[in-house]
Amino acid sequence: MLHTKIIDIKKEKISSSNAEVFIKSSSFGASIIFTGTVRNINENKEVTGMTYDSHDELVLKSFNEIYEEAEDKLKIMNKAVFIEHIKGYVGLGEISIIIAVACKHRDEAYILSRYIIEEIKKRSPIWKKEHYKNEQSEWLKGNPLSNEKN
Amino acid sequence: MKIMLELFGASRDFSNKDFLEFNIDKIIEIKDLRKEIIIYLDKNFKGNENFKKIVNSSSFCSEDNNIINDNYKILKGQKIGIIPPIGGG
Repeated sequence: MLHTKIIDIKKEKISSSNAEVFIKSSSFGASIIFTGTVRNINENKEVTGMTYDSHDELVLKSFNEIYEEAEDKLKIMNKAVFIEHIKGYVGLGEISIIIAVACKHRDEAYILSRYIIEEIKKRSPIWKKEHYKNEQSEWLKGNPLSNEKN
Repeated sequence: MKIMLELFGASRDFSNKDFLEFNIDKIIEIKDLRKEIIIYLDKNFKGNENFKKIVNSSSFCSEDNNIINDNYKILKGQKIGIIPPIGGG
């Protein structure tokens, strides 16, 4: 069971309560809700906010691939996965990503949650532009897109 | 033919618009499009080396949302996305 979405922050909000509702089921004994948020310092620079950019179609495609791979590689068959990532500007402490997973057992849930965020970092075309206290801003360097599937 | 290059991430600084347009009179490959972008950057940003690095480290994406390699032939006018180094989450 999978839910994926890019949230355009100008039009709607991202909320972990939606994730809770989606993954809730009596057939799962373990659930984890991971949220990524904007922090105030990066490389000794005072950050005031972040703009996220996204190639929506490719990002959603990558989320689906990552979910499918969890069955093939991790052998986690019964699961609920909720992934939402924002695009647009968010301030300090605000949520940029929610990954919620529910599995039968806690080992699977921890492994799956970690797997999803690490693969998103490697494979999903999302970019961050940091905004600083001195009014300047800069796109973070990032890593070239990896086409190879592990 | 007209190739519309959709800009994402750091490449958005290449223009005030969300895309660049290239009028090309022959079939070209992605590696040729890379050269065309660099010619554009030389002309409009006096050879900004950071911008060139972005182009050289980027992947590209076809209109049907597949990542394409340097030998991919652009046979007709279409939309191509430039995918600079990524880092979301």
